[in-house]
Amino acid sequence: MRKFGMALAIVAMMSGSVATAQTAYAAQSSHDTSTYTQPAVPVGPQVQPLDCFGTTGGMGCGPGWVWRDGWRGWACYPC
Amino acid sequence: MKKIRTMAGGFAAAAVMTMSGFGYAAAQPGDFSTLPVDPNLITDSLAYNAAPPVFNPNGQPGVETVYTHRDGSRTITTTVLVLPDAAAAASALGGASTGLVANGKAQPAAVGSDGTMVTGMSPDGSRSVTVLSFVEGNTATTIEFSGAPKDPAPSDLVLELGRKQDTAIRDWQAA
Repeated sequence: MRKFGMALAIVAMMSGSVATAQTAYAAQSSHDTSTYTQPAVPVGPQVQPLDCFGTTGGMGCGPGWVWRDGWRGWACYPC
Repeated sequence: MKKIRTMAGGFAAAAVMTMSGFGYAAAQPGDFSTLPVDPNLITDSLAYNAAPPVFNPNGQPGVETVYTHRDGSRTITTTVLVLPDAAAAASALGGASTGLVANGKAQPAAVGSDGTMVTGMSPDGSRSVTVLSFVEGNTATTIEFSGAPKDPAPSDLVLELGRKQDTAIRDWQAA
């Protein structure tokens, strides 16, 4: 009786796996592959440059300013 | 009585120190060494190195000091002439930028009296040059800023140093 139960369980498990696979395959085969989707084209840089090098700015210099050794020594200067 | 004499002695000593000791610390006639203002006052404090001052430049009473940027690309030359009167000082400033700036653009500068700022290039075209000149009492001051052709001195720095120099001259005259 126990052997019969084990055999029944194995058969049930195998049949379940096969059925699930068939269902998944059916779902995929129903997808329409004839339609072409145009990928989105970037319209411009997504990051706003914050200094002359397009980074966040050295030494806390703001947008349009750069850190260098100039007339006032080391300081932020306009680009 | 002894206490009164002690106090009198103290007052006398204080008076002598005030009249001689403290008075001696003030600028002496002909002592121009403290006149030029160090540009490091308005920089990161270490940007410029000062050359020894030259007294009585070109035979005129006064002082001239050259400050050179640590990278060697910029110089600031401050010349303060101390003349007999304001008229002589104004006369000395006439054509202060002549020979220093070629095809310079002159504009008034709110520094001292007769403040003028001339911006252009050196006669050989190898340097950018800005010359600030002004009169303060009997002194005639010229500050020359020389840099790379594409690195002229910012006008705000020129005016800031000029105003500090003007203040230093007034303090020196009042001392």
